[in-house]
Amino acid sequence: MAGHGTIPAKEGSMTHPTSHDSSGSAPASLMADAPVIDFDKFKPTRSHLAARQRKDTFMRWLILLAFVVACIPLISLLWTTIVNGVRRLNWDFLSHNMTYVVGGEATGTGGYGGILHAIIGTLEITLGSMVISIPVGIMCSVYLVEYANRSRLSRTVRLLVDVMSGIPSIVAGLFAFSMFSILVGPGTINGFEGSVALSLLMIPTVVKTTEEMLKIVPNDLREASYALGVTKQRTISKIVLRTALPGIVSGAILAIARVIGETAPLLMTAGYIVSTNMNLFSGEMTTLPVYVYQEYSKLRANCPADASASCVTTIPMERAWAAALVLILIVLILNLIGRIVARIFAVKTER
Amino acid sequence: MNKHVIVRTAAAASAIALLTSLAACGDNIPAGTAATANADGLSGNFAGAGASSQQSATEAWIAGFTASNTKAKISYNPSGSGAGVTTFLTGATAWAASDKALSDSEVEQSKDVCASGTAFDVPVYIAPIAVVFNLNGVSDAGKHVNMDAATIAKIFDGKITKWNDPSIQEQNPDITLPDTAITVVHRSDKSGTTQNFVEYLKAAAPDDWTYDLSENWPNEVGQGAKGTSGVISTISQADGTIGYADFSQVGELGTVSVKVGDEYVDISTQAASNAIADSTIDENVTGDNRVVVDVNHTTTADNAYPIVMVSYDIVCPVYQDSATTEFARDWLTYVVSTAGQSVASSATGSAPLPNNIVDRINESIAAMG
Repeated sequence: MAGHGTIPAKEGSMTHPTSHDSSGSAPASLMADAPVIDFDKFKPTRSHLAARQRKDTFMRWLILLAFVVACIPLISLLWTTIVNGVRRLNWDFLSHNMTYVVGGEATGTGGYGGILHAIIGTLEITLGSMVISIPVGIMCSVYLVEYANRSRLSRTVRLLVDVMSGIPSIVAGLFAFSMFSILVGPGTINGFEGSVALSLLMIPTVVKTTEEMLKIVPNDLREASYALGVTKQRTISKIVLRTALPGIVSGAILAIARVIGETAPLLMTAGYIVSTNMNLFSGEMTTLPVYVYQEYSKLRANCPADASASCVTTIPMERAWAAALVLILIVLILNLIGRIVARIFAVKTER
Repeated sequence: MNKHVIVRTAAAASAIALLTSLAACGDNIPAGTAATANADGLSGNFAGAGASSQQSATEAWIAGFTASNTKAKISYNPSGSGAGVTTFLTGATAWAASDKALSDSEVEQSKDVCASGTAFDVPVYIAPIAVVFNLNGVSDAGKHVNMDAATIAKIFDGKITKWNDPSIQEQNPDITLPDTAITVVHRSDKSGTTQNFVEYLKAAAPDDWTYDLSENWPNEVGQGAKGTSGVISTISQADGTIGYADFSQVGELGTVSVKVGDEYVDISTQAASNAIADSTIDENVTGDNRVVVDVNHTTTADNAYPIVMVSYDIVCPVYQDSATTEFARDWLTYVVSTAGQSVASSATGSAPLPNNIVDRINESIAAMG
């Protein structure tokens, strides 16, 4: 802002081409004959400057405040989850399931049950939904960007993807549940059904992010490839997708983070069981969000009058918090993996 | 590039293999004795679904049952009574748990699922329903408040709005009740607890409770909360609140002692069991083998607590699959046995089934398969 004072002087020297006087030929006389412009008139006054300074400071603080306000729930959430979750988060909790857990009593290993079955369920179901939705999503966006960029069909598909991204998760759950009821048998519940429900929620996110990533791949790259006689298929798979890969990976991670915490559709499609089920295609499977919900609904375990001292009445809530913390950690780890993968595959531009 | 792909694939494959080997079991060791001699027993996957009120009890039963049938994998989905019965009637589950007995049409529908005969319900879980309250100076001092059925009905109907209302105060001469407004908290979702609670009000105070029976809360008094956990947390948060919830979830909150005959009875599992022992079995139900308890809410028996929920297990006498028939019979036998009832009681604070009812249930079990 201090620099403003010097500007009028500089601009004064540049006014000569607009000068009215054309008789003089020497530049020196030009300068002398130039109409005198009172640049001080444009000079911001002290009060004006102060006002701008105030406005600047005010906006700075306002933006900072908005940032802080936006962070409060996040920090509060993380803090509450960590404080409450860390109490029961130990190896015993991570390496056992909920079999033989009765009331608030400790199990044979001194633990209070765990979430191994839920972690496995969450990972398997999420993996299943990735396998379904990532290829579908990427191919859909390749079609949209590379083959049918402005056609009527692509506009329709884009609209439908937008609509799809607004589908409430419970509706996706209902869809998967009814589909399996018709195809497999009434009341079918298994992990893969949960994957189908989640993939419905993932596909729009994958399509949208991949589409954006493909759009920003410079056209020069495609043209250069074509100029060398490379086929369209190879151009797309080796040039376009390769260039956009880091973005596609982070889009996929975003989509996973979007669905890994879903409770409602999994409650309906994947069910709930206390023992470990490794088979994605048969039997009920517990996932972390459903586990958290079920433990929360239990609220309190009963300790009879003759219970041992290790009986904890508040154990369901403590388990719920610890499982919630683990879920957050899993999302965090997935994000880190996504970043690392994106970095490994990033196109080296300096060459 | 190709080499990288191979390396990465190998890494991913070994990671999955590691996860699989690590995850092969994870089962806990039962707290008490190790698996008993009958370690083989049944095998297979068996699923149940239904009342969320039975969740903790059923998990305890699954633990007890699989301790002696180690190869059986049993799941229980606490999706709610209505959903549980619907799922059962599609044939997807081996048994259903429900807070209310089957309706005639449901019995009729069960013909399609059961290999022969119709499904029947037997009581397995008796849970006392506590009238809980949070009142500074009373509940935190560990005191009970005495109320008769008419007072409870008036409170939950919004006719009594102050804790120091004369009708409450005169039943509690030993307590100084504050001039706090009463906030009623009820279930906002469909619930067997609501159904049983209003059944009690209708039976014991017919003049003050004129609503029809329903699983939904019938009036606009007070505020709703989702699930037992919602009711308990709402009550814990505010002074002057009153509501109803499963006894096992009461925790530190105060409970109302209910007037039975001429005395005020504190809630306890034994008192609830006494009330059921004083109840009759409905002999007019359609369908064979059914044991439906007609809870005697107006009991005057000694130390009987009349607000009780009876929750049922619903099974077929014979299934298409003989293994399931065997499972259902063993399951019910275990659940109503002394061992099963005591493990549920210690896990959830439920009341043990009285002997006269157990005898009737065993007759029904004997008729299976």
